[in-house]
Amino acid sequence: MRNWLIGLLIVGFVSVLGCQPQDKNTSETQKAQKELKVAVAAPFTGNAAAFGEMIKRGAELKEKEINEAGGINGMKLTLLFEDDAGKDAEASLVAERIANNLQILAVVGHFNSSCSLAGKPIYQRAGIVELSPGSTNVTVCEGSDWTFRNLYRDDFQGKFIAQYIKKILTDLESVAVFFDNDDYGRGLRNAFVAEAERIGLNLVASEAYDRDNTDFKAQLTSIKAKGPDAIFISGLYSEAGLIVKQARETGITAQFFGADGVDSPDFLTIAGSSAEGTYLTTPFTFGAADAKAQQMAANFENLHGVAPDTWAALTYDAVGMIADALEKTYNSEASVADNRKAIRDHLASLDTPEEGYNGVTGLTYFDLNGDTVNKPAYVKIVKDGQFTAADQQLRELD
Amino acid sequence: MAQFLEQIINGLVLGGIYALIAVGYTMVYGIIQLINFAHGEIFMFGAYIALMLITVFGVPFWVALPLSMVLCAVLGMLMDLIAYRPLRDAPRLSALITAIGMSLALQNLARMIWSARPRQFPDETLPTIFLSQNAISLPGGATLPYRDVFIILLALVLMVALNRLIYLTKIGKAMRACAQNSVAANLMGIRTNRVIAITFIIGSALGAVAGVMVGLREVVTPTMGYYKGVAAFAAAVLGGIGNITGAMLGGIIIGLAEVFGAGYISSGYRLAIAYIIMIAVIVIRPSGLFGKSTGKRA
Repeated sequence: MRNWLIGLLIVGFVSVLGCQPQDKNTSETQKAQKELKVAVAAPFTGNAAAFGEMIKRGAELKEKEINEAGGINGMKLTLLFEDDAGKDAEASLVAERIANNLQILAVVGHFNSSCSLAGKPIYQRAGIVELSPGSTNVTVCEGSDWTFRNLYRDDFQGKFIAQYIKKILTDLESVAVFFDNDDYGRGLRNAFVAEAERIGLNLVASEAYDRDNTDFKAQLTSIKAKGPDAIFISGLYSEAGLIVKQARETGITAQFFGADGVDSPDFLTIAGSSAEGTYLTTPFTFGAADAKAQQMAANFENLHGVAPDTWAALTYDAVGMIADALEKTYNSEASVADNRKAIRDHLASLDTPEEGYNGVTGLTYFDLNGDTVNKPAYVKIVKDGQFTAADQQLRELD
Repeated sequence: MAQFLEQIINGLVLGGIYALIAVGYTMVYGIIQLINFAHGEIFMFGAYIALMLITVFGVPFWVALPLSMVLCAVLGMLMDLIAYRPLRDAPRLSALITAIGMSLALQNLARMIWSARPRQFPDETLPTIFLSQNAISLPGGATLPYRDVFIILLALVLMVALNRLIYLTKIGKAMRACAQNSVAANLMGIRTNRVIAITFIIGSALGAVAGVMVGLREVVTPTMGYYKGVAAFAAAVLGGIGNITGAMLGGIIIGLAEVFGAGYISSGYRLAIAYIIMIAVIVIRPSGLFGKSTGKRA
């Protein structure tokens, strides 16, 4: 009988281990060549796992390209993938683990704003760079010299969406907001609501939902009673897909609008035909990108068999920036703390367009906070089950 | 008015699902005083098994639903046999911890088999009454999808059937006897282990139905059992844990409270409102709405 119990414990233990993404080191070359280790922290499981998958693939492509081109000053770049499951509590554990691992020189991540925020004080204390390819909450880089990001902030994005609806989708007069009750969803909603009030967009409802929920009928029924022309979903693709689907079932015919959190191919599979006509904003789109980005997309498809998305591209650039910093600053004689600090100092020195890093998602340079403020937003629409660039883009904000 | 009517339907559907899960918690607790935390995972497996039968093996829905019930019943029985029966005479805490371990193990097993990605029942493989556009129009512009009618009716039929089983059949009598005093029941010639196994079988089969219902309306994920399971557990406690009628009504109350809380008070505190109601009831009646106030079973 006791054997059963032990067996059960083993099953449990193995299955817990089984859900950690493992980095498989190839043992032959390990000793021969010095490795530079960089962690990639993202949601590889959980509600935002589709983002994590693309982040991993984008990072792997850059890692492969760097190593095939001879590595960083002859040293091999090795990425360690750490799963934060998209949860802030998990992210703090991951951050502790990374900070205490003295082989890791920098972190690309986290993705969710709440995770980046949870990791921030830990990375700051340990003195290791956190470069997020996906967190857009306004406060992510505030108060720490060690946190950076290579995409826009939600104050810009919320403002952009409100103005896009007001100026371009002029037949939409009333708007409801349905937001995820976390740092990202709330922050973006606040920015959107502030701008909507300023420019006189009629806001009829503002409802919240929790991340783990999959039944949105109660809130949707309330929204339906207010009869908005448009509904702005401030949240992530998995819930947004279900919301759009359940809204159509409830008989809501309003125009849907999402933000970058909805920008994942999984949104289309979850929402099915209900996704049709949904607008969303994104920090990057291959449709509007240069030849370098098209080349990266082709290489990505060769390696992984699927087309890259926004997050794969931003992660590709983030890994590139860290590798670039390592190439310019890494000193094998110096201590880990000094090398970690050198990366930070290098990133902080990229503070003008001339100094900026020129990647596939455009030019990245930082302000005093570590934010990227120059990157534009693009609008995409779901047409025939595909994301395509919207006919009208908004170039200038008031 | 239309909004009110639609919210009632939303609440009843959710409540019916909670009720089906809650009876699984309460029946097991009634007999062996174990809070079977892995019950939510049986519910989740019910959804995945039906989904696999339909999408991979091409089984029609009307066969997949009962088949999923049967397979989940077997799973529930095995769980009792492997994890709980060896601990029958051990301190209650050991069994409780085993239940938590079982829950984690099953959840991670599901994640390994089916990945963490949410899945859905494909529209084309389902009977047409489940397609969302097929709905009854109610006065005032409200709509009532046939699928929701089906869910409410099926939950109701299963509840009544369970109630009749408990009060009119021999095995029901044996279950009630074990719940009152399993040692005495054993002395009277009732094979308690068999009765307990049957309790797990019934609870798991009902949980599987609830899983398929949630899969039809929402989405299937490895963690779906946790979220719905916690709410259903609250429903069982609200109704008086160990009491089957209480669990059914508790489920309906929690479902309605959740929907009306989200619809009329504050959507940010959807489940919190349901829990506040539960806590308020427990404060006034510590044994729940229908629980016996013996004080022995805390």
